Amino acid sequence: MSFGGLHTNHRAIVAAAIIVFFVLTLVMAILPALREQAFSASAVATPRDSEAERGRHVFMREGCGFCHTQFVRDLPMDRPYGRPSRPGDYVGENPPMLGTQRTGPDLADVGTRQPSEAWHLIHLYDPRAVVPQSVMPAYRWYFVAKDQAGPGDVVAPVPTGSAPSGKVIVAGPEARALVRYLLSLKQPKVSP
Amino acid sequence: MRDPGLAPSPSADPATVRVTFEYVAWATVWLLVGTTAGLIASIKLHWPEFLPYAWLSFGRVRPAHTNLVLFGWASLVLVGLSLYVVARTSRVPLWSPRLARVALALWNLTLAGGLATLLAGVNRGPQEYREWVWPLAVMLAAAVLIVGYVAYRTVAARTLPEVYVSNWYILGGFCYLPILYVTSYLPFYQGGIGNTVVQGYYMHNAMGMWFTQLALGISYHGIPRLLGRPVYSYALGVLGFWTNLLFYPLIGAHHFIFSPVAWWLQTTAILFSVGMMVPVWAGTGNLLLTFKGAGSAVRRSYALPFFVVGLIGYGLGSTQGTIEAFRTANIYLHFTNFTVGHSHATMYGFIVFIAWGAVYGLIPRLTGREPSPLAVGVHFWLALVGILTYVIAISAAGILQGLAWVAGQSFIASVIAAEPMWLWRTVGGLLMAGGHVVFAVNVWVMRPQRVVVPAPASDAVGMPA
Repeated sequence: MSFGGLHTNHRAIVAAAIIVFFVLTLVMAILPALREQAFSASAVATPRDSEAERGRHVFMREGCGFCHTQFVRDLPMDRPYGRPSRPGDYVGENPPMLGTQRTGPDLADVGTRQPSEAWHLIHLYDPRAVVPQSVMPAYRWYFVAKDQAGPGDVVAPVPTGSAPSGKVIVAGPEARALVRYLLSLKQPKVSP
Repeated sequence: MRDPGLAPSPSADPATVRVTFEYVAWATVWLLVGTTAGLIASIKLHWPEFLPYAWLSFGRVRPAHTNLVLFGWASLVLVGLSLYVVARTSRVPLWSPRLARVALALWNLTLAGGLATLLAGVNRGPQEYREWVWPLAVMLAAAVLIVGYVAYRTVAARTLPEVYVSNWYILGGFCYLPILYVTSYLPFYQGGIGNTVVQGYYMHNAMGMWFTQLALGISYHGIPRLLGRPVYSYALGVLGFWTNLLFYPLIGAHHFIFSPVAWWLQTTAILFSVGMMVPVWAGTGNLLLTFKGAGSAVRRSYALPFFVVGLIGYGLGSTQGTIEAFRTANIYLHFTNFTVGHSHATMYGFIVFIAWGAVYGLIPRLTGREPSPLAVGVHFWLALVGILTYVIAISAAGILQGLAWVAGQSFIASVIAAEPMWLWRTVGGLLMAGGHVVFAVNVWVMRPQRVVVPAPASDAVGMPA
């Protein structure tokens, strides 16, 4: 059986494979990506300050995006999370964290839905103190238990039973930055 | 064309055997590490306070698990077997086993670095399977290019005119992965949603243009070899190669249905997710038909049942993926654990079972040492019952999540509904892990005997296999 001589020519097989795959890569990945990249912001989002930017790195470091999407679809079940996401929402996000799993709820607009700093601090220290059935990890390594809060300390007002007795829970810089980031997640308004 | 591997070949020279086995052995080490990471992640979903340490938190062990089982275990075992297959089907010793060994060392170094950095929280964010930082990516790409070049030179030195179909798939895989990997790490077009387009392209093609390629290449040699008969249709094998190349790269965006990614790209992806059925069923059908009338051979062999499960996993798992791509199914299934079930049904139910079939079928022929058939049987049943428990449980969890969301219940209702299934998933995972330990013992039993090589490897040409 002959396939145009290809079956005896390893160079031709490899060349054909490389060329076809590269062309398809160009057409299906690189060129569409360039086009998407060119989209301008749909609206001006609140600029993120440097602390929130540090918080975004904590969010990445802890792999939060493996369980939490930032991607609202135009489907009825996604309405609690905000308006449908637009390409412009992700301008300047490196990387954009749309996500593929919702083991926890979507966070695209969490700063609007849950604007309380205290709630987020408690939730990060002990998720089950605020949502008993939650399976989220407790990020205790970003907090310190102190006998009493010093000046300038941000205290996570955790309920009794969550913290070692007689101690106050003080948020470390990463916890504060992470909360700052979460509060910055607000979908910019778009004109209808 | 008849598989040239069916005839005696000089490819079983000690250096080829040794390097093949080293790849398989290191792959097995990473299998055990990757499985442990996966088990920790699984347990944490129904026992969140289990191992409450930063280095072992869910968000860090998850990428450690996926990267180690994909680039550690599955890639290394398939590369090791591929090196043997290219040599055997070209009827020459492997070209430069020394260079293949350099690639293995570099590869292992990358994996160790990847494990350490991912657990330390050094990553590029939740970009699946490309989480680790670019220096590691450069090292891995270099390793792939080196070992790919070894495979290419081996095929180039073949003593037969034809390039056997196994080598089309294997050389194809070695060409595609570097292109795919470099494309996924270069930043110039990855601003905003551009990154998402590349993410879909990358994570999809990593499966279809790398793992599938090598697994099919190995199957097109291993199955005819173990059955002692030619493949059902050589032409179907070649058809599968081309249609896989033409359809697969078009499908990536189906991971982002209803997303801000361009609608035409999503629709094209859905369309070719159906087109993908051509190579999938050409491959599955062709290789399964090779078994026609050979039922007794399957019953007597401890390697062939792994191939049979792997081929069924290929056909069913891929078809499941096509169905998930449809917009209507996507509404119910996207973002749910159903996707996790699909990725395990395919990576484990297809790729890993094929790899095991080939390890048990080919390695004893190389080293002259066989594992105990009872131990292989224990491995087979633990792995099969384990993966079925896993996939059924996690798919049920996904369906329950999707139904809770569509019904408009509060989010936590989907967590409560899925949690009992997460426990069952861990049960399945424990069975799989038990199978992996038995497999590791079997690999050790199959290790090559230490022999004094009497002459340089090149003199081995003409020796009976």
